[in-house]
Amino acid sequence: MNEPVIRVQNLKKFFPITKGFLVKKKVGDVKAVDDVSFEVYKKETFALVGESGCGKTTTARTMLRLIDPTDGKIEIFGKDISHLNREKLLPFRRKMQIVFQNPIGSLNPRMTIGQILIEPLLFHKIVDTKQEAYDKAIELLRMVGLKPYHMDRYPHQFSGGQKQRIAIARALSVDPEIIFLDEPTSALDVSVQAQIINLFMKFQDELNLTYIFISHDLSLVRFISDKVAVMYLGRIVEIGDVDEIFENPIHPYTKALLSASPIPDPKIEKQRKRIILTGSVPSPIARPSGCFFHPRCPFKTEKCEKEYPNMYKVSENHQVSCYLVEKEGV
Amino acid sequence: MEPILSVKNLSTWFYMEEGVVKAVNDVNLELHENEVVGIVGETGSGKSVTVRSIMRLIHKPGKIVSGKVIYRGRGKEEDILSLPEDEMTSIRGKEISMVFQDPLTSLNPLYTIGDQLTETIIQHQDVDRKTAWEIGIEMLKKVQIPEAEKRMMSYPFEFSGGMRQRAVIAIALSCNPKVLIADEPTTALDVTIQAQILDLMKELQKEFKTGMLFITHDLGVIASMADKIIVMYGSRQMEVASAEDIFYRPLHPYTHMLLRAIPRLDKKQDKLEAIPGQPPRMIEVPNVCPFAPRCPRRLDKCTKELPELVEIEPEHFVRCFNPVLETKNSEAIPNE
Repeated sequence: MNEPVIRVQNLKKFFPITKGFLVKKKVGDVKAVDDVSFEVYKKETFALVGESGCGKTTTARTMLRLIDPTDGKIEIFGKDISHLNREKLLPFRRKMQIVFQNPIGSLNPRMTIGQILIEPLLFHKIVDTKQEAYDKAIELLRMVGLKPYHMDRYPHQFSGGQKQRIAIARALSVDPEIIFLDEPTSALDVSVQAQIINLFMKFQDELNLTYIFISHDLSLVRFISDKVAVMYLGRIVEIGDVDEIFENPIHPYTKALLSASPIPDPKIEKQRKRIILTGSVPSPIARPSGCFFHPRCPFKTEKCEKEYPNMYKVSENHQVSCYLVEKEGV
Repeated sequence: MEPILSVKNLSTWFYMEEGVVKAVNDVNLELHENEVVGIVGETGSGKSVTVRSIMRLIHKPGKIVSGKVIYRGRGKEEDILSLPEDEMTSIRGKEISMVFQDPLTSLNPLYTIGDQLTETIIQHQDVDRKTAWEIGIEMLKKVQIPEAEKRMMSYPFEFSGGMRQRAVIAIALSCNPKVLIADEPTTALDVTIQAQILDLMKELQKEFKTGMLFITHDLGVIASMADKIIVMYGSRQMEVASAEDIFYRPLHPYTHMLLRAIPRLDKKQDKLEAIPGQPPRMIEVPNVCPFAPRCPRRLDKCTKELPELVEIEPEHFVRCFNPVLETKNSEAIPNE
């Protein structure tokens, strides 16, 4: 097998909680990402899923070095970037782009679409002259299904779906190899979502892109990704091949998530048995002892309250951190 | 049986500087006791404005320009839209109540949950504060909030998102309304919490035999909730039918395409069939089919006049000149 494009090892990101006004004292940590490891291969779509506050976005931002990791390694093309300085990070920044959830917030309202697309081209010295940059920007607009005359317009003149197309064009402008997609369609209507998702699939095919896809929409994750990591309170609880996990989930949390996601089919909906979890996600400041999921878990044992379970290998492409595996002897 | 609520030819327009936004045009619907009618549609399709018009919650520059909302819950036929405002306050919350999308904005942050519950109860029922407080506790228990007695004293910020929505549902149901309007009640919640709330709403709806108008953009959610579905697009009803018909025999090209554009959790799909184009702009819309610019089955006629909402099959209404009649049952849902 070829080398992974991304290798994340024991990644941690803690945000300190301070107390006091003049003299600040650290009183604890929000453990947003706690010991997360995974590998992503070329042309793969790797999905991070979980509910709000599970650490999926923090993981992605730390990998991009938009925030600095507390501990652990982030290897991109075999090089650890977790401690590189700004200057040395630049070539990696070019290789790793991100498309955010909210296209209104990620496009500068005072810049025309042309300026938005030309700036990164010149900054990263992808092209030498302004004319070349202009030509390339028009080419990018065509790629995402917009027209050359859109170059002189401002973001507010576009609909949500079109804005997201512009954000994609900007991400593609610097010839990246990895694109992070942070809930890229959750602000869009269903009929437009499919257009954007198809666009992502097309570019992955044509440009050999690797995607890190962050989403809470499991139906979408099933459609777009190859591998998936389910996160709960900063840790990965189940990871592996998408189809295998969706058809044979082992962790009770994954099971609950899947059974809670509605299916657009009234007959199936009426027959489905839901695992309704009680309560809500505990605070990441005071996480439960043992397995973090045990207070909500319908299958908990005594052991679950004491010790956090290790990752067990269920099959070649499926790992899970739950004692149930031991019991079922999978 | 007579429906408890009938909306007839409702139109609500907003008079903006840029022009008139015709947010809701000529909407008709009927809601029976113990029935759940779902309204699905995308942003700007007019689903929220429709229900806000029913509750008369439309403010300037908006105006209900025509239509009737007949309510039959008080032993007689009343047109809600022509009642005086003080009469209306005895209907809101008592006869018809509403649950909104964001529980944080529908609860007052300065009052305890108990205060807000009892306020509604005292307003509409002839009870003293002590009894109201007890009814409040009962309601919190009904929506499965643990330690209800203690939780009456909590402020909204002390509740999690799911708990807040439970409290809002408790307030909405505290006077045993005959109609409950839920406007995207779970959109702000995580999936596991959404499942809890939907479950609870279904249970309570059956228990109280409430007629429920359920609004959402999520076709998965509506599949689990509704008996009857109204599909809205560009301020008009495009298709009205039973939930089964909408999902297994969609006749309007929009519904048909929409169902193929959503990814499914239970199936491996190769492709999503996107609907080309953008949702319609709302200002100065010509009086033709709003979906025509994006429709692959468009006829010349479609860009010239507006099709009527006709009953093509029994209890199946479609607004289209060229409906997808040849669909076989097996075709309606993308196969594996």
